[in-house]
Amino acid sequence: MKRPHPWPARLAALLAASLCCAAAAANEPPRFALSGFGTVGVARSDKDDYRFHSSSTQDSVSPGQNFDATADTVLGLQGTGQLNDQFDLTVQAISRQAVGYNYTPHVTWAYLNYRASPALTFRVGRTTTPFFMFSDSLNVNYATPWLRPPVEVYSLNPFSDLDGIDMLYRIPVGAMDLEVQGLFGNSTLKARSASGRLSNATGIRVGLAGSGFSAQAGYTRTDLELHWDDGLYQFLNNQFGLLGQTGAQAELSGKRGHARFFSAGLQWEKNNWITVAEYARRTVDRYINSAHAWYLTVGHRFGNLTPYAMYSQQRQDTAAFAHDTAPALAPLVDFYNTTRNTAQQTTALGLRWDVARNIAIKGQVERINVAPHSRGMFTPESAAAAFKPVPPIHVLSLSVDFVF
Amino acid sequence: MQRTLFRFLTLAALLAPLDGRAELVLVTSQRSGPVELSREQAEKLYLGRSTTLADGTPVKLVDLPNGNTRDDFYLKLTNKNPAQIVAYRSRLVFNGRTTPPLEAASIAEARQWLADTPNLIGYLERTDVTGGMRVLLRLP
Repeated sequence: MKRPHPWPARLAALLAASLCCAAAAANEPPRFALSGFGTVGVARSDKDDYRFHSSSTQDSVSPGQNFDATADTVLGLQGTGQLNDQFDLTVQAISRQAVGYNYTPHVTWAYLNYRASPALTFRVGRTTTPFFMFSDSLNVNYATPWLRPPVEVYSLNPFSDLDGIDMLYRIPVGAMDLEVQGLFGNSTLKARSASGRLSNATGIRVGLAGSGFSAQAGYTRTDLELHWDDGLYQFLNNQFGLLGQTGAQAELSGKRGHARFFSAGLQWEKNNWITVAEYARRTVDRYINSAHAWYLTVGHRFGNLTPYAMYSQQRQDTAAFAHDTAPALAPLVDFYNTTRNTAQQTTALGLRWDVARNIAIKGQVERINVAPHSRGMFTPESAAAAFKPVPPIHVLSLSVDFVF
Repeated sequence: MQRTLFRFLTLAALLAPLDGRAELVLVTSQRSGPVELSREQAEKLYLGRSTTLADGTPVKLVDLPNGNTRDDFYLKLTNKNPAQIVAYRSRLVFNGRTTPPLEAASIAEARQWLADTPNLIGYLERTDVTGGMRVLLRLP
């Protein structure tokens, strides 16, 4: 993204300042901490005609049966500086393949944290959208049992930065802790064939955490700007133009969208069994389809080995362009809607191996069935593949996750 | 009977250090106020679910360098093995919910911090406790 980041830049400067001036006495602990995380991973599918993606915000270098080292590989660094008992600064940047094969580090966190009271915290700057249960640690694969977050759910909302303000309120409830988060802000995104913006996003998230159990639910409503830039969009847009259907054009792409996101999930750990489940729904009034998705993951820890199984699926609720149109254009609109539908289901088996302190090796095999009138998360390699239904595709992934 | 007991005790004494079963204690500087710490609160603190003591006093935590004492401490307090602790903690740290405990480079450094810095809490083997510290909680 070429967009400047005034907040992150300013906060990074402040953090650097806090670093230089926090030269504490030698017998006191330091006020600055630097840590990092990363994944080195490869993935390949068994079909030459389709490229596998783990998100809509990246291109993939290697089609089909070649091992692709870009789908999951990521490196992140985070610094936290404590200014005083009430204020601290956190900056995190990651490098992972973005649209245009771009690895330029991207600032994912840059905020000033203010503890107004032990229960109440405000964060100003860039934080992460809390749309999903694992939104705030999407890139930290070491922290999760699976190889990557289930794409059916996590691709429903690829906006991850939130530039604005949020509030966290934490109170104990019996043996558990209740956390209520309120947020307001904006977000921008560059995806494979579109760019977008969320404005005036307003959300609430409620989480309950206890020993071995946590559950959460979140709801966000936002203004949505979405500009498609692929050839098919341009072609359909021109056709509407030729027919004088300016109303239809305005429903394809533009600045007048509204979206609502809802998600609810839980994690449960008992007797070495791990269960993770989540449901999410995206409701949009124009430009892109409305859809819902869910997954269930069950794993069991045997010492250093944690095998797991996962099922996830995404279904479309309404198509991207769901208006009446000239009969001659109906097949084209149909095709257009198919390319904007990512409905699919995945059955996966995987293994996490905690090979050393701070290092986990993971392997996963999955079978992906793309729904009718959908492309799933795949882009076709050939014109012939673009018009055929997507066959079942198997994907093999291997990765090494680490934190430091 | 006595001989058996003697043998058993000898064996236990021999095994104890190998087993990492030294008694662990949670300590703070005597410069801290008259603070108290329950086992439940200690677990909440080290799992990042709280940043204050029961009376609301904000505290910072110290971790020892990677090793048996540290692993033993987390196992006793939270029932999580080293990999589980790192996975659990990395999520909290990288999602901005908590800052991790301050990791001392050595036990000597941890001892110095804990003796000198008010409202800092850490764990040590009982035999490493020095003057200037107050024991808050024992983890046998």
